[in-house]
Formats: sequence, structure tokens, C-alpha cells
Amino acid sequence: MTEQVEVVVIGAGFAGIGLGIRLKRRGFDSFVVLERAHDVGGTWRDNTYPGVACDVPAHLYSYSFRLNPNWSAVQAPGAEIWQYLRDGVREEGVTEHVRLNTEVTAARWDESSARWQVETSNGSWSAKFVVTACGHLSDTRLPDIEGLDAFAGELFHTARWNHGVPLEGKRVGLVGTGASAVQVLPELQRVAAEVVVFQRSAPYFFVPSGRRPEFSAAQKRLFARYPAAMRELRSEVFWYSEGNFPARVRVPALLERARNASLRYLESAVTDPELRAKLTPDYEIGCKRILGPGRYYASMVQDNVTLEASALSRIEGSTAHSAGGAAFDLDVLVFATGFDATEPRFATLIRGRDGSTLAESWSDGMKSTASISTPGFPNLFITNGANTSLGHNSSVYIIESQIDYILSALDYVDATGVAFVEATPEGEHAYVDDLARRSEGSVWLSGGCHNWYVDPRTQTLTVTWPDFAYQFREENSRFDPASYHLATRE
Amino acid sequence: MTALARELDQGVIDVGGASVRWFAAGATSGPLPPVVLIHGTGGSTEGHFSFVFPMLARTQRVISVDLAPPPGNAELTVDDLERQVAAVVDREAPTGPVSVLGYSLGAVVAASYAAHHADRVQNLVLVAGWITTDTQQLLRQDVQQQLRGGDPVAFKKLSLLLAFGVPFLAKRSFDELATVAPPPSGTPEFLARLASLNRRIDIADEVAAIRAVTLVIGCTHDLMVPRHHSLALFGAIEDARYLELSSGHALVFERPAELHLAVRTFLSQPSRHPAGTVIPAEQP
Ligand SMILES: Cc1cc2nc3c(=O)[nH]c(=O)nc-3n(C[C@H](O)[C@H](O)[C@H](O)COP(=O)(O)OP(=O)(O)OC[C@H]3O[C@@H](n4cnc5c(N)ncnc54)[C@H](O)[C@@H]3O)c2cc1C
Repeated sequence: MTEQVEVVVIGAGFAGIGLGIRLKRRGFDSFVVLERAHDVGGTWRDNTYPGVACDVPAHLYSYSFRLNPNWSAVQAPGAEIWQYLRDGVREEGVTEHVRLNTEVTAARWDESSARWQVETSNGSWSAKFVVTACGHLSDTRLPDIEGLDAFAGELFHTARWNHGVPLEGKRVGLVGTGASAVQVLPELQRVAAEVVVFQRSAPYFFVPSGRRPEFSAAQKRLFARYPAAMRELRSEVFWYSEGNFPARVRVPALLERARNASLRYLESAVTDPELRAKLTPDYEIGCKRILGPGRYYASMVQDNVTLEASALSRIEGSTAHSAGGAAFDLDVLVFATGFDATEPRFATLIRGRDGSTLAESWSDGMKSTASISTPGFPNLFITNGANTSLGHNSSVYIIESQIDYILSALDYVDATGVAFVEATPEGEHAYVDDLARRSEGSVWLSGGCHNWYVDPRTQTLTVTWPDFAYQFREENSRFDPASYHLATRE
Repeated sequence: MTALARELDQGVIDVGGASVRWFAAGATSGPLPPVVLIHGTGGSTEGHFSFVFPMLARTQRVISVDLAPPPGNAELTVDDLERQVAAVVDREAPTGPVSVLGYSLGAVVAASYAAHHADRVQNLVLVAGWITTDTQQLLRQDVQQQLRGGDPVAFKKLSLLLAFGVPFLAKRSFDELATVAPPPSGTPEFLARLASLNRRIDIADEVAAIRAVTLVIGCTHDLMVPRHHSLALFGAIEDARYLELSSGHALVFERPAELHLAVRTFLSQPSRHPAGTVIPAEQP
């Protein structure tokens, strides 16, 4: 049996839940949120590794329409963010619209009815609009390593942490040095007998502010009693973060200031010249995500931590070999190796007007109009897809802008009675060319690193939004009929 | 100096004996008129616009003027500084419309220039500017002047206290404050002449003659040019809209990104908000 709704939302993370809440607040009920997992929460349900937290301050990394006075810390623990999202679903009446354990396996545009047909592991839906809210960091990536399948010990990805594996007294290999690795290392160092970190390239860090990372009871009560204080804090953090954008497009003085500050911090935190040399990045700052410092360097200098400054290359039984020729006997391998961001898996499931998939359409890299629509896929809105990630600010700000865009598109279709809206190829070309111009000379493209923002097939910046976050909202938060074909009813 | 922007034009011109340095960057052929930036007392292009200049240059032509002391010791006038702006504009954008942005004393110069060149100045941005110096400012300047000669340490602390907003200062350590703004540019003599000019501002007649599409930006926590001055400009200029940002006078250091984006948004579509609008600040 096929259930009829106006809107199918795929995925119950920040984006899908946020859209659900906004729809609900407008008194709109004809929608479902389909979620493959056992619970809502997306990133914050999946990432339960020890030390997981947001690195954008939680007072900004949360919905503007659901401020939370109770964040325990500037970088709130992941479990708190997960709970915040679950509370949102429950308190806003979205629960009855969520279908858990429901994995979308195909979505197909039906020309004759001008509707989407959505197939899942748990029923079928027919909808006028489909919104993908499948995330950009939700499908885990494991490197292709010889002998991995036959590893004698336990292995798992940080986003699929196996809490059943005790780490006390174990020899643990940590593969990768990105955002998750940096948060998990201090926890591993505390409990494991020995930790080996496999590093392909060293990260840059923000300089710690020296301010208290936890909020006191008095501060939390103030936020509850006087919400304007939360708004002001949110604004401060937002504009401070925006201030970090010019270095990404290589404004010389500001790039230099950012690099020097980060390297000075390394110098003060790590005195051993040999270790410091290994921890000194060999690319321009900002080319990869600049990370929150936490206790990474402090853990790195401990006796039970070894930094292997080359990639994990081969496994033989319980021995892990590095590209640099070192060998380590390990009990557990933790992969902090990131996600498939340039080639999102959901794109393989969605078939447009001519029957081909979104992945085929994107075979030379993700592209879009307004970072949300693409020709051939009528009435489809893609959140957190092409050119939406930020290296310097909160992705919830982007998500909220996209929600605004979708709501204004629904309003437009409602008010004009058009059958469907479909991005025009000309509009998409113009958008793609414009973003290519803005990305020219940026650290992502010319910073001398490999990052997950650039599509390896074309060397174009397809994941990152190459401008201020504010500018994203300025340009991409209102449906613009001029870049769409508007189909009239017969 | 070359750290300002990646592709930079610059030069020095003589204006009545003053050596005026100018900078320019950004595409010359875009749809938007070039914008001319005028810094405030103790500033320079690099000092006040190290964020705004290169970032605006990504979307349009930007020209800036480093105000310089005219020779001799005569009392400095708004007219002296305005002539320097006019000379740079005539050189770098000899024909067609321009936009002008002034900050603090630069806003006074910008307003006066716009009044006298109504045919050229299409858009105007006045950041923390004023029309007439009032008693609150004179008192503040009296104290600053006394300390400048007598107690340089106290003078520096007072300058921080006056330049930055209360909320900004409250959250920073002394170490952080030491690096947040560069030391003032200009010789002590020039700074003294500028300080004296700051005491004598009265451009009421000029302001009434401004025809440009104008954005007035006031700063909520400003103690040097308190926001009532920006509100006065908002009332006095025919085609004005008003935006208030949560900052002290040192907006260019406290919230440079917010300033930049307010300006970029306005210049991209100056009349989006009709005259008389109080534009709400972005609520992220
Ligand atoms: C450890 C970690 C820390 C992070 N910290 C920050 C931070 O501090 N600041 C920041 O801005 N960003 C951060 N991010 C990025 C983060 O992913 C985004 O901020 C945000 O959570 C994305 O929300 P989303 O709803 O788009 O996607 P997700 O949260 O990934 O949710 C997508 C949902 O879609 C579901 N789904 C996918 N495919 C299907 C399908 N076929 N059928 C049904 N359901 C499906 C998934 O199960 C998931 O629940 C972090 C990411 C990670 C991994």
C-alpha cells in the first residue's frame, strides 16, 4: 500500500528534524520523516565515541528557534546534542511524523502524476515533494587497506563505535587525525596501554581561548531567565566565526595571522623538536578543517602515545604496517577516517525525470542551483548537498537557511498552483560558474592538501560554500522562481 | 603594506603639499560603482580596513585614501581632508557614479564630500559618524588630552575603555586586547591636529544637502561617538536607512565581518529598504 503525503523528508538529523518542526509550527501535517536508523538524531545518534562533542559552540550550533539555556559546555558533549534533538522531536509534536527503521531504497519521479514514488524497507510513499536530509557526514568511509578483513583484533569506525570492546590495557591504533580523531585521542590515551596514531597530515588548531569551557549553574540560570543573553552570545560567536573566513580566500594579512597563531600554539604546547616537526602541517592553514584544540597535544606528548607520521598501509594478522615502514602489534584499530562527502550515497537512490540517478547526474561532481535543486529532478530539495559545508561556522545556520528556502518554495507552489518546479540548466550553470569564481585561489583548492571538500574526479570545490555563512542566507534562503521551470497544470 | 590584498594598485599623490597615499583593488568592470573608503582618526587603510578592503574587493572595485597632514601648522579643516578624497577619486574614478564609506571622522569627511559632489556620490555609508561635536565628546577629549601628555599608561587604558564596547572588553584578557587593534597611525603632530578638528565638527548644512542613497550605521555601545549621533544623521539625511550593530566605537575590530556584510549587502542593492527603514541586525 502506498501512503499519500505532500512532503517526504529523508533523514532525521538536524536538517530533517528542523524542517519537521518548522512544518509543524505552520500547522502543516501532510509529511513524514523517514529514518533508516532506530532513533532520530543523525550525526549525534551515530557518533558516540568517547570525547565526542561539537566544535562550533553549542549556543550557535543549535536551532535559532529552540535555544537551549542548559548546554553544559561551550563544546557540548555529543550525548547532550542528541538529547536536544530528541526533545525537539517530542516537544514539537514531530514524533507522529517520524518513521524509524525505514530506509529509503529508491525514489522515482513519476512524470504522469507529477509526484515522487518513494520505496523503503518499510512501506511506500507517494509525495508531491521530496527533501533529502541524509547528511554529508553520515556514510562512513574505511580506507582500502590490504589485509584489513583478516585483522586479528577488533576494528571499528568512530561513527560506529563498538562499546562492547574494552580498551583498558589494550594496544590501540588510531587511524586519521581529523576532527573525530582529535577528540577521541585524549580518551584513548587515558585508558589504553598504548596508542599509535597514524597520521597522513597534521592538523592545525585554533588557539585555546583560556576561558572556562563549562557553563556554571548561575550562567545557565541567567540564560533561562534572560534569553536575550543567549541571543547575544549566539551573535558574538557567529560574527567571531565569520571573521575567520577571509583567511580561507587568502587575504594575506589575515591568513598569516591565523597561521602564526596556530603555529605559536603548537610551539608552546610541544617542546620536543622532533615531535613538533611531525606535528607541523605541510600545507596552508584552512585547507583542511581547523580543529578545536582540546587536549590533543597534551595527549600526544604522553609516554604511551606514538605518533607515526605516515599512513596505515597494510595489515598482517595483528601487525599494522605504516607506509613509512614501521610495524606495530595492535589489539584494536579505530578508524577516524571520515565520510563520503563528495559522492553521497543517497544520490544513487534517486531517479529523476529521465530515469537516471542523481549520482549519474553528478558523475562529474555535485552541482546545483542555490545549493538545493538540480535540473531533471523536479520538486526535489537537497539539503547539505552541493556547496553547503562551512570550514568556519555552524552548519545549523546553513540548514536553517535551506529550511527557509524549502518553505518559501512550498508557499510559492501553493500560491501559484503550478504543478511542479524544476531548476533550469542555465540557472545551474550560472550558479556553478559563480561559485567556481569565488573559490579561485582559496586555500581549499590551492592550499597544498587533500581534503574532502574537493571532488577528486574534477578537482572542483563541490562540498564547501566558498563565502561567508551570512552570504549563503542572503542568497539562498528564499525560493527564486527565476531559476526554475514552472510547470503549469493541463 | 602589500599584505592588504593580493592584487593591489597603490600610489601617492600630492594634494596641496600633502602626500596622500591611495590603494585600489577589485575588478574595474563590474556592475557596481567603485566604493571609496575613508578611515577615522588615528587610522589608515591598513589600520581600519584590513578586513573590509580586501573582502569588498572580491565583489567590486574598492578605492581607499590614507588621509595625510597638509604642510604647516594651520588648523586642520574638514575641507582639507575632503580635498584629499576628491583628488584620489578624480584620479582613480574620474567619471561616473561612486559609493563612499566613511568611518568615524572619515564619516564626517564622507558626508561633507557627498553633499558637495551630489552628482558623483550615488551611495553613502556613514559608520559611527556625527554632525556636531557635543559636550559629552568635548569632556571625553579633554580628559584624553590631559592624560596623553601627563600619564601615557593611563591614556592607553582610557583609550581602550573608550574605543571598545563594554561587553567586548568584559570577555577579553589584557593579552588579547593588546593584539586586537594596531597602534594608531600618524605622527603625534598630525594626531593632535586631528584631535583638534574632532572638537570643531559642525556639518549640519552639508548633511541637509546629501542626496545619496545612504546607510547610517550606529554602534550600540559606542562611547566616543554615541549612537545618538548616528540617529541624528538618520533623521537629517533625506534618503537614509539605519542599522545598529552591537559594538563599541571600534566596530572595525570588534565586528569586522558584520560591518563588511552589512556594507556588501547594502551596496549590492542600496534601495532594497526604503528611506526611513530601521534595518534589523542579523539574528543568526
Ligand atoms: C563527530 C562530528 C562532529 C561534528 N561537529 C560539528 C560542529 O561542531 N559544527 C558543525 O557545524 N558541524 C558539525 N558536524 C557536521 C554535522 O554532520 C552537521 O552539523 C549536521 O549534524 C548535519 O545534519 P544533517 O541532518 O544534514 O545530517 P545527519 O545528521 O547526518 O542526518 C542524516 C540522517 O539521514 C539518515 N539517512 C541517510 N540515508 C538514509 C536513507 N537512505 N533512508 C533513510 N534515512 C537515511 C541517516 O541515518 C541520518 O539519521 C559534525 C559531524 C560529526 C560527524
